[in-house]
Formats: sequence, structure tokens, C-alpha cells
Amino acid sequence: MSETPSPASPGERVWNFFASVKLSFALLLILAATSVAGTLLPQKEPAQLYLEQFGPTWGGLILGLGLDDMYHALWFLLIMSLLAANLVICSLNRLPGALKIIRKDPAVDLDKKRSPAHGFTLAGTPAASAETARRALAKALGKVWEKPFQAGGGQGLVLLSQKGAWSRLGVYVVHFSVLVIFAGAMVGNLFGFSGMVTINQGQTVDHIMQERGQEKLLGFELRLDKFTISRYPNGMISEFRSDVTFLQNGREAQKNSLVVNDPAVFEGIDFYQSSYGQRPGLVTVRVSRDGQTFDAKLEPGRWNPLPGGGQAGVVEVHQNVNMGQMYSGPLARLAYQPEGGEPLAITAFKAGNRMPQRGPVKIELVDLEIVPYSGLQVKYDPGVWLIWVGCSLMVIGFFIAFYLSHQKVWVRLEPAKGGRTRVEISGAANKNRLKLEKIMERLAGAMRGGE
Amino acid sequence: MEAISNTMLVAVTFAYLGVSVLYLCNMVFKRGFFGRAATIFTWLTLAAHTTAIILRWVASYEQGIGHAPFSNLFESLVFFGWTIAVIYLFIEGKTRLKQIGAFAIPLAFFAMLYALKLDPGIKPLMPALKSNWLIAHVITCFLGYAGFAVSAALSFMYLLTKQEQTAGSRRALTLDQLIYETVVVGFILLTAGIVTGSIWANSAWGTYWQWDPKETWSLITWLVYAALLHSRYMRGWQGRRLAWFSLIGFGCVLFTYFGVNLLLSGLHSYATGKT
Ligand code: HEM
Repeated sequence: MSETPSPASPGERVWNFFASVKLSFALLLILAATSVAGTLLPQKEPAQLYLEQFGPTWGGLILGLGLDDMYHALWFLLIMSLLAANLVICSLNRLPGALKIIRKDPAVDLDKKRSPAHGFTLAGTPAASAETARRALAKALGKVWEKPFQAGGGQGLVLLSQKGAWSRLGVYVVHFSVLVIFAGAMVGNLFGFSGMVTINQGQTVDHIMQERGQEKLLGFELRLDKFTISRYPNGMISEFRSDVTFLQNGREAQKNSLVVNDPAVFEGIDFYQSSYGQRPGLVTVRVSRDGQTFDAKLEPGRWNPLPGGGQAGVVEVHQNVNMGQMYSGPLARLAYQPEGGEPLAITAFKAGNRMPQRGPVKIELVDLEIVPYSGLQVKYDPGVWLIWVGCSLMVIGFFIAFYLSHQKVWVRLEPAKGGRTRVEISGAANKNRLKLEKIMERLAGAMRGGE
Repeated sequence: MEAISNTMLVAVTFAYLGVSVLYLCNMVFKRGFFGRAATIFTWLTLAAHTTAIILRWVASYEQGIGHAPFSNLFESLVFFGWTIAVIYLFIEGKTRLKQIGAFAIPLAFFAMLYALKLDPGIKPLMPALKSNWLIAHVITCFLGYAGFAVSAALSFMYLLTKQEQTAGSRRALTLDQLIYETVVVGFILLTAGIVTGSIWANSAWGTYWQWDPKETWSLITWLVYAALLHSRYMRGWQGRRLAWFSLIGFGCVLFTYFGVNLLLSGLHSYATGKT
């Protein structure tokens, strides 16, 4: 703010630069302008995509500037840090002055001459009018200070009342709240984590997947007991719900029903219902080889040893395929490896079908299990309470900064000729002068009414 | 009941058009009659508008899918128009400047007109939208947008009537102050809107801020208006520049509201009613 005309030292110049509203004005607009870029460019896509879409030059530039994840790019954080520095220094620069005004003893300078907004004379001595003035001031603003003085051969009196001096701090509350929110975001980024986990109904998990595909152990276990979808009469989904149990050292510690908008917390970690779907469960097959037939259960995602040697795995399942007249029904693509032999790809159809299968082994489908799974968002954010504190402070600060003001009104009673009293009403306000004028008008009215 | 509400909304839309014409006549012909008629009809239109919104609310409960009528683009536009009328009438009551109506009420009309082009059917809520924070979010955002809209209307009036040529006049200073005060109202409400939105996002998706395009554009709007609020501490930013600033801010509001849904994609895409 301060533009000192005297030559400033380099240190002072840096300080003044960081204390200026011009800088914050520029920074706010720069943040706004740069933020636009991230809404036009797709964010956090694989690097390859940018190179393909924009060519090596532009794509390279995008990656080089970090525009593929620009809200976390160093230069963007730098602008934010500059704004934070601007806020801190501006506040340090101005707060002492504001506190001085707030703490100022009203009695100081009380009898200084001020240019009045209203001036008139009343019958009677100043002492006679003082009581009316006192009452009217107290009613309009609160506590009244006064100081007698000598003038024109008689005794005069100045009265002062003020209200809302502390409201000058509203702006500082707002500015501080911005810093609190920044702090909350930083704490969350430095000490928190977030990830996803998908659990089949009945399954228990002990880790989640973080954003870049790293696994993270939770330190406890989570079991999906049941997953339910409810629908509106028109078929739209009204709710999906995961009934989960948290297990501590294998023992049930807490049960929750997770629905969207109603997360569960365990050990400070939040679990949110976020997606759902269906996945193949156990696949039961009938294997015929070497004149023998037996049933086996295959678990997806691994090799399953078969009775009598060899192993099999599930590659892919379809609940229902339609191949016209030839076949319709479930289908599974399997991998089969005889003992000591090479793996083979086998397509298995429903048992008892007429589809031919060549090779040393015949595998048919007996049962295809489909299990629902639930996708949960998992988050640990120790900074989130700071965010909410900051937001509350900001809104409270706005009301103070915008709607409250420091109003001061003086009434000067001076002896005049003929035993009359000259009344002068003056005022000062840091904002909302309209309100100040109204207060002074009412005061003048009250004093004249006593005539 | 849904049908009655929809019919009323059509009538209300054209009533705003009629009222706009009355305000315009008031400004052009300077006859007290037009001004008085405009004010009375605005109040009546607002009453009908309010009734239609309440009927829609009740109708959703009768259909067994009850929810507050703030859940899709159609409903938000209807509410947007409503808030513009409310804020305008408040300012008119305070300042008695009826010329402003010729600039503000047409905005209510355009919001409603856009709504009429959309499917007005009452739809059940998808799971993520079932939240009281969401209701608070929509209400505060749209009250804020309406504050900015009225501010833009005032700015437009300021520039169109060339107030800067008599920048020291009482009328120019009042307009200047009103532009600023409506921005303040909008800013506080937009802040509350962003905060309630984050609280909702935090309970629905597990993060209070994800930089999705809609969120980011609301932040851009917020930053532009924050800069505007600071501009008054720099010399020479009152009057014409303030008016332009407020119009640019409102451009950001419009982009946040329509542009993002139409041109960019993100979390809020369900709000278009098209997905
Ligand atoms: C996101 C960041 C910011 C927000 C939300 C914010 C908000 C506000 C608000 C609401 C006011 C009150 C305006 C009025 O009463 O008309 C204000 C005033 C002010 N702001 Fe900021 N501000 C921010 C950043 C900054 C920065 C970085 C500076 C650094 C110089 C700054 C300097 C000031 C000053 C000097 C005032 C006037 C204070 C006074 O009346 O004595 N602001 N700000």
C-alpha cells in the first residue's frame, strides 16, 4: 500500500512490493487466468496421449510446463505461495496500525475541533443540554466518553461515543482464513493419502491401491458382507449400499452400511461408496480326459491345480453369448496346462452342449458364479478440519468486513451568546457513511426535540 | 399438479417479458404510471413464480420421489430467475431506482426462457444427489449468481447511460455503490456455495476439491470478483472500470453455469440433464 516518496532501501522495496494491493490484484487475476488452462486441457492423462494429440513440439511443451497436471505444477504452487506471502506481509504491515486505532483511548484528542455535519444553537447552558446528548449518544452507539473544556468565558463539553472499532479486524480474519485453508491443503497433501479398493461380496481385503498404482497396507482388514442395489419404480438406481465389517487382528471391530453421501470412518480413515459392478466368481467346470470325468472349481486370477495333475485358469467369462443357431448360453475362455506340457487355450461352453472341442481334453461349464463387487474410495486427510475452520472463518470474516463498521460520533457543546449553547455534531466511519449520516441526523433531531 | 406448475412457469416467463416492457416504458416515457404498474406486476409474477416452485416441490412428493426442486438444469434456471426477481425487488425497495428494472428483469426472463426449452419432467434423484449439503450448495450458488447478474445489469446500465461523463453525480455514485454492493452479496453467497459444494463433494466422493472443470471455473469466477473487491483500494478503478469488471465477472459466471456443461466435461455433468 504505502508508497513512500523517500528513497527506500532494497529491503524496504521488497517489503513494500509484497505488501501492496496491486500485487494481490495481479496475483488473483493471474491465478484466475492460468486456472483456465487446466480446464481446457485434459488433466492427468498418460504422457503418451499428449504427444499423440498435440504432436511432439506442443505435446512436449505441455509436459515440460507440467500442464498435464497443472494445479500441482511447481509454477502454479509458486503463484499460490506468492499470494500467501503477499497476504502475510500485507497483514503484518497493516495490522499494527489497525490495532492502534482500535485500542486508541477515546479521551485523547477529544476536544480537538472538527468540521461539524450538523450545527445549531439551543437555549440553556451546555450543562443543561449535556444530559440529552448523553442519552441520545448512548442509545445510538453505547458507552459515552466526555471531556470539559474552557471556551468563550464559560465551560464547554465534548462527548464521544463509538461502536464497532474491533470490526476493523474483519479483513484480517478473512485474510487469515485464506492462510488456514492453504495450511489445511498442505497438511492433507503431505500427511494424507487416498486410494481405491474394490471388494467382492464376501471377500476381505487388507490394502488399497493409491493413485499411481502403489499398494498401501491399511493395518486392518475390511470385509464386504453384502452389496445391495435398490431402484426406483422406473428402474433408475435410487441407492447402492455396502454392508461392511472392519476387522482388527481378525476380530470384528466395527460394522457399517456405506451409501453414497454417508461414508464410514475407521481408525481415522474414511471409506466412501463410489462404484460397483459384477465380477466372475468361482467357475465350476467338468473336465473329461483319459476316459475320466470330474468336476473342478476354478478361482479367477490364478492357476488352479486339477485332481490327477495339471492345472487350469480362467481368462475371461461371459454370462450369455449368442451365436445364433449354433449356441447360446454362458461361455468361458480358459487356460489349461497338462502336467509337464505346454499351456492350451480352451473355450468352454455349457455342459451338454453340442459344440465340438478338439484336443486331448474336453472341458465344459457347469456353473458360472457372478459376484457383485463394491468400489470404495479410501481417504486419510488430517488437514480437512483446517479447511472447514478456514471456510467458517472466511464467511464470518466477510460479514464483519462488509457489514460492520467503526462508527464514531462527537457532540460538542459550547457556550454561546445570550446564555445559549452551540451544538456541533461530527462523525467518522471507516465505511458505511450512510449509516453514520443517519445516526448523526437522529442525534440532531433528538437534541432539537428537547428545545 | 406437476402440469399446473409447468403451465404457471410458462405464464410466469412471459409475465417477466411483459414486466420488462413496462420497465422499459417507464425509463423511456418517464411516466409514473408505468413504473407503478411494473412494480405491482413484478410482485404478482414473483408470487406466481414462488407458487409454481412450491407446487413442483409438492408434486415430487406426491410422485413418491420427493426432493427439493434444485436438482437439474431446468430447476436451477427456474430458481435463478426467481432469485434475480427477488434481489431486484429488494434493491428497488431500497433505492427506488426503477430504471434498474429495465436491465435486471430481462435477465429473469432469459433464464426462464432457456428453462422452457428443457425437459421439465420431475426425475428421481440419483444417489450422489441425495444430500442436504447439495440443496444448500445450489441455493447459495444461485443466490450468488443472481447477485452478480443484478450487478451486471447495473453495470450495463451504467455504461449504456454513460454515467462516467457525470461520474461525480449522485446517480452515478449510487450506481457505482450498488454495483459494488451487489458484487459483495454475490461474493459472500458464491463463497458459501463453493464451501457447501466442497462439503458435499467431501461426503460424496471423498475429496473436498478435485479441480474438475466446474469447480475450477467457480474458483476462477471467485478470483475475478476477489480482484474486483481489491480494485477499489487502487486509484482510478471506480466507475467505468468497475462496471466493465463486473460485466467480465458475470461472463465468468455464465461460463461456469452454461459453458462448462456445454463445452467441458466433469463431475457435474449429470446436472445438464443430458447424461
Ligand atoms: C484469496 C485471497 C483474498 C481474499 C479472499 C481477500 C478478501 C478481502 C476482502 C473480503 C476484503 C474486504 C474488502 C472490502 O471491505 O471492501 C479485503 C480487503 C483488503 N485486502 Fe484482501 N483478500 C485476499 C488477498 C489479499 C492479499 C494477498 C492482499 C495483500 C496485499 C490483500 C490486501 C487487502 C487489503 C489491503 C484490503 C483492505 C483492508 C482495509 O480495508 O483496511 N488481500 N480482502
